[in-house]
Amino acid sequence: MSLSEYFELLFTDYTLRTITLGTAVLGAICGMLGSFAVLRKQSLLGDAISHAALPGIAIAFLITGTKDANVLLLGALVSGLIGTFWIRGMTTKTHLKSDTALGLVLSLFFGFGMLLLTFIQKQPNANQAGLDKYLFGQAATLVEKDVQLMVIVTGVCLFVLLLFWKEFKMLLFDADYTMTLGFNTKFIDILITFFIVLAIVLGLQTVGVVLMSAMLLAPAAAARQWTNSLGIMVFLAAIFGAFSGVLGTAISASQNNLSTGPVIVLVAAVFVLVSFIFSPGRGLLFRELRFRRNRRDLQLKKTLQFMYGIAKTHENISHPHAIRILNNFQGFTKTSLRALEEKEWIELDKQLWSMTDKGFDAAQDLYNQQANND
Amino acid sequence: MPLKIYIINKQIMTNPQIEIQLIAVVVAIACAIPGVFLVLRKMALISDAISHSILPGIVIGFFITQDLNSPLLILLAAFTGVITVVLVEMIQKTGLVKEDTAIGLVFPALFSIGVILIAKNANDVHLDVDAVLLGELAFAPFDRLLISGMDMGPQSLWVMGVILLITLGLLFLFFKELKVSTFDTGLSSALGFSPLILHYGLMSVSSVTVVGAFDAVGAILVVALMIAPAATAYLLTSDLKKMLLLSVGFGVFSAIAGYWLAHLLDASISGSMTTVLGIVFLLVYLFAPSKGLLSVLYRQKQQRIEVSLITFLLHLNNHQEENERHVNHLNEHINWQKVRSKSVLELAQKNNMIGIENNIVSLTDKGREFTNLALEYIITNKDEKIEHMKEDFFLFRG
Repeated sequence: MSLSEYFELLFTDYTLRTITLGTAVLGAICGMLGSFAVLRKQSLLGDAISHAALPGIAIAFLITGTKDANVLLLGALVSGLIGTFWIRGMTTKTHLKSDTALGLVLSLFFGFGMLLLTFIQKQPNANQAGLDKYLFGQAATLVEKDVQLMVIVTGVCLFVLLLFWKEFKMLLFDADYTMTLGFNTKFIDILITFFIVLAIVLGLQTVGVVLMSAMLLAPAAAARQWTNSLGIMVFLAAIFGAFSGVLGTAISASQNNLSTGPVIVLVAAVFVLVSFIFSPGRGLLFRELRFRRNRRDLQLKKTLQFMYGIAKTHENISHPHAIRILNNFQGFTKTSLRALEEKEWIELDKQLWSMTDKGFDAAQDLYNQQANND
Repeated sequence: MPLKIYIINKQIMTNPQIEIQLIAVVVAIACAIPGVFLVLRKMALISDAISHSILPGIVIGFFITQDLNSPLLILLAAFTGVITVVLVEMIQKTGLVKEDTAIGLVFPALFSIGVILIAKNANDVHLDVDAVLLGELAFAPFDRLLISGMDMGPQSLWVMGVILLITLGLLFLFFKELKVSTFDTGLSSALGFSPLILHYGLMSVSSVTVVGAFDAVGAILVVALMIAPAATAYLLTSDLKKMLLLSVGFGVFSAIAGYWLAHLLDASISGSMTTVLGIVFLLVYLFAPSKGLLSVLYRQKQQRIEVSLITFLLHLNNHQEENERHVNHLNEHINWQKVRSKSVLELAQKNNMIGIENNIVSLTDKGREFTNLALEYIITNKDEKIEHMKEDFFLFRG
């Protein structure tokens, strides 16, 4: 499928348009709230909650008997919240660590959910099929109503985020200070946790239980590499999330047998990989370059220092010396000598070098922190 | 999801029933042992990551061997598990993200690759994601191990049995090393046991166990079998040997009880095993002596009242004038609620620390002695002292 065909289909085909829109909105809200989850060191909360939502879906179905997505999502939300608060209770009241608590809630709730799902399947009424789409996610089942719900939730979430921006930000970086200022930290904490759980539950239908955590984490982890400002990070994460959704849907639509959820996650993973390597501030590539430059710079200065040691024993600092006498000192190469000459620290004359006044001053100031920092 | 459930003969325990329970028990024990160390090393979630990321390994192994129980496939998939750990550590080492984020990034990506591999080759692979994630113990007895035509029992029982034996062997051989490196990495490297080798050894054993067990109980429920028994045991004891034994016990109990629950409800065996584990954990979480929720809450309440009592006694010690020692004054001065001041007063009286005459409170000799000791404690601030003091002086606790 060519690009123009894709765009044509995007505007004419109802299903593709709905799915693209849905995954884009989902990516955006997950990126937004995922930034908070990542910064609060709750990255794996998403994984635990998405699994913990399963019994809620099953119980909601058992009670109401309908497969109305909103009812099931409500059940998922309730059991997700119970899971979240149990995790918190376990880590504060017992000596179990957060990883154990997360793993317990994840696996125990999920196992219970499986029990209920298989139990439901044995029930006589036949409309139970399709509950397991929440397990692996089927973006193809998204309808306009689902997308509307996502847009509404995203809108509410954005509104609350802007309204409580200052509080969220403060709680994130200095919880104790926030408390001393008289903010109700418990309320703010519950509010942000509630929205994170809400975003996870919304995504279940699209990408499924297993991959939901990546939807939450990956855009935020990628965005984190490009900036140190929370506002920009949230914004970037939303953009990355939305793009992963759109690109993932496009790629999976272009081929047969390619489920949307995993492709979206892989696209998001590519975003993360690119950010890890190429981000200018923290990226691995630029870090390596900076590291090398610093090392070269250090070598150069060591050579200069050695020369200074020789030059200062002479009355005339520009007295030429043979390059040969530098041989005791291993740190110089032809290029590094030329680099020194370019900086006008030394003058080269065939096999001789002589220090300039500028080089002498530079060498003298080498250990002066003040001068170096300027 | 597999709809067919093995139809069980209702009258007696049939052969397949015994076999299923046997497999469940062996899986539970094999999972519980590495689980204890994972929980103690705060790496419980690594088991979750491994259990998901082995998927591409299983798929590729299946392309090569065409047999879910072949040892080559198990090794290949286990290798993917170890790669996951290495990848997580690599990402973590860059310092770009925290450890938990690194875990959360790696395993969904690998899992996605596995799902796509399955979907792209749906026609050649008789393997679906459901089966890998959820497993179905009820089908395990159908896969027989045939050696020159002789029926040697279910294949997965042999696979898990061998894994269990290896795990037990390694546990007995390296128990001391594992113990030291789990609780004190520094000491362990000083003694010459490389924590790195033990770490990767443990990761390899966990990976192999997860791969061996996914067939029977599914990838996610392996996590439950690893973490839940260990966490439950951890709430009951702080002795490593006891913890190992207890978690094996919980694992075995949940395997058998879970099987019969599934039988009763006609539902997934692995799901009900996990549910039993969950119930056991919940009970222990609530009622465990000294570390359970209720006893923690009770202790907190007790300590709150006892701290108030000490504050109150110090206050009495500081004031000789009667108006400061009037019962009604308590409420306004120390700013306590009425109920609280009443319970503090009662506690102090029960312990003969104060006497009340005409609504004027005064310290008894015992109360004075206790207060002086408490003052000394506050100055030196040695925690163990106050508990001794409380034991010496209190007839009744708060």
